[in-house]
Amino acid sequence: MTEMRYRVVKPALAEASPSEKDTAPVMQAIDIQHRYGDAEILRGISFALHPGEKVVLLGCNGSGKSTLLKILNGLIQPTAGHFMYQNEPITPKRLRTPELHRRFRHEVALLFQNPDAMLFNPTVFDEIAFGPRQLGLQDVSDRVNHWAEQVGVSRHLSRPPFSLSGGEKQKVCLAALLALDPKVLLLDEPTAALDPRSTGWLIDFLSGLGITILTTTHNLSLAPELGNRALVLGEDHSLIYDGPIQTLLADMERLAAANLVHTHRHRHGNIEHRHTHVHDWQ
Amino acid sequence: MHIPDGFLSPQTYLPAYAAAVGLWAYAARRVKRDLDADTLPFLAAYTALSFVLMMVALPLPGGATVHAAGIGLLAVCFGGWMSFLAMSLVLAMQALLFGDGGVTALPINTLAMGFFGSFAAAAAWKVLGRINENVALFLAGWLSIVVPAILIALALGIQPRIASDAQGAPQFFPLGLSVTLPAIVLPHLLVGLAEGMLSILGYRYLKRLREKLTP
Amino acid sequence: MNPDRVRLIAYLAAVLAVSIIHQPLWLALGLGLTLLAGGREAGSILRRAIRAVLLFNLLISLSYLVMAWLHAVSPWQMLLRLNLRVLLLTSLTFLFIARVNLFRALDFSRNLTYVLGLAYSQSLTFRRAHDDFRLALASRSLRRPGLRDRYRASAAAISWFIEKSLHAANQSAQALRSRGFFHD
Repeated sequence: MTEMRYRVVKPALAEASPSEKDTAPVMQAIDIQHRYGDAEILRGISFALHPGEKVVLLGCNGSGKSTLLKILNGLIQPTAGHFMYQNEPITPKRLRTPELHRRFRHEVALLFQNPDAMLFNPTVFDEIAFGPRQLGLQDVSDRVNHWAEQVGVSRHLSRPPFSLSGGEKQKVCLAALLALDPKVLLLDEPTAALDPRSTGWLIDFLSGLGITILTTTHNLSLAPELGNRALVLGEDHSLIYDGPIQTLLADMERLAAANLVHTHRHRHGNIEHRHTHVHDWQ
Repeated sequence: MHIPDGFLSPQTYLPAYAAAVGLWAYAARRVKRDLDADTLPFLAAYTALSFVLMMVALPLPGGATVHAAGIGLLAVCFGGWMSFLAMSLVLAMQALLFGDGGVTALPINTLAMGFFGSFAAAAAWKVLGRINENVALFLAGWLSIVVPAILIALALGIQPRIASDAQGAPQFFPLGLSVTLPAIVLPHLLVGLAEGMLSILGYRYLKRLREKLTP
Repeated sequence: MNPDRVRLIAYLAAVLAVSIIHQPLWLALGLGLTLLAGGREAGSILRRAIRAVLLFNLLISLSYLVMAWLHAVSPWQMLLRLNLRVLLLTSLTFLFIARVNLFRALDFSRNLTYVLGLAYSQSLTFRRAHDDFRLALASRSLRRPGLRDRYRASAAAISWFIEKSLHAANQSAQALRSRGFFHD
């Protein structure tokens, strides 16, 4: 394909109305830098997330997306800079106070790229119930059944999570996180290991949720489905774009700089040419 | 047991290296003879497995954690020589690639953990395996921690006696057997319990896996 | 003999030399030389070496201090010598790791290079996965997880590693076969 196909923005993904945008950001990253040994992972990352926004974090492999998400979940202390959740600075150290810890872990959930890393309970039911049980809620069973049904794993409730397929494991993880009714959902490359049908399901499911969502992906074709605002991490580990996704998709130069599009020889019949493009993902 | 370099005298580590090299050469030949051409990839895999098992925190009541090594499990499942080689590789990898543990402590650790630890475990399994599997596995795991702990405590504790200068001041590890034996062996009696449990559960899991993989 | 193997032998010789020198002055000189050889990485080498030995050395030094006080001997010469030696050896090792390609140094044995290389790369992957397991439990826990949950999380991780190891072993055996590594 030599052109980008623009998709009509569905109402469910409509950008937050101006009045909402004026409200305080739910999450704010301020000049976050991170080094690991001698390697620079993140450089000068600053942005804000507003309630209800659906934002896509784009970047090629190795640009630091996973690390940024772990910083935003208070799991890693950035080497410099800080981030705020509801105007409170969050670091692993500050999270040692039980009150803040409980509130933060309740309200901000992270879906790891490798779903295996998250699953450890004996049955799918226990896995989804893990969060609510920690809150000491009375309606644990109802919650579990509700979310299991929402993601479509109700028939697996008494099976161990390890026996499920990759896509089903992902669904169990999602249900387990959503069972806590978080306010912010961070998703690390959720579509990377999914088959096409599961990916379609995920996109529909996420667009139906009313909470703030930040999704990372390196798949440019899916990006418009996952949000209407894009943050782009360049190969130099800094934020090279923060704005509407449709504008980004028209900016081939910036996309190429971020290693999100490629060039290679194209053959059409007897004609051979090369240009920068993206393959439309079916 | 990651003792930094500088605590063991050459009188200790040079003979240990000689013994270790001899055993490595023999083990390499034994392992290649007993198993088929797949030996190398499996040895690499067990090495990586043992490496990561040492990182996993096994929970103890009260919030404490211990780290096991999987020596007992490896020895029971794959034999003493394979376990010895895998452990030697892990220790060499940690010392020379990860900077974790010293190159002078390497032969002592290899002999203590890799050789005596593995074969103590293998022996326990051979003797008791047919009588009661769980007890044999538990004992294998426990011995694979306690026997090396005793040997390392001995190796460290004799340093003041064999390597002191003219004034009697120790040149390497400065505390004697009366300190090292209780200080090192006692805690490892407990660590051995966690390793014993790991051996039982790991063995069961591995058995189920192998049954699934081999048609 | 390739330069990495020469450096490996030089490193081992240096380690042996440090083990038979007992005067603190010479040990301090050796440390200075090692850091000099480290060039731009000298600071990082020294910092990492200190971090690696601090806890254990502190423990041993304090224990010896108590013992020396009880026996009315002067501990300072010995403590200086011990800590300098440990720091020097650890710094030498970090310098070695920074400067030498161990796989090339050991390339006299194809099998050894292969096994070590494969084990190392799998270990790195496992280390990253292990971090994810640990962080995932932290991320999902509203309060300190109980014994049963910690146990289950460790068990899940261990099972995953065992399974991945077996799978990786099978895969690399096939890959090697296909590349003609084995003469069977």
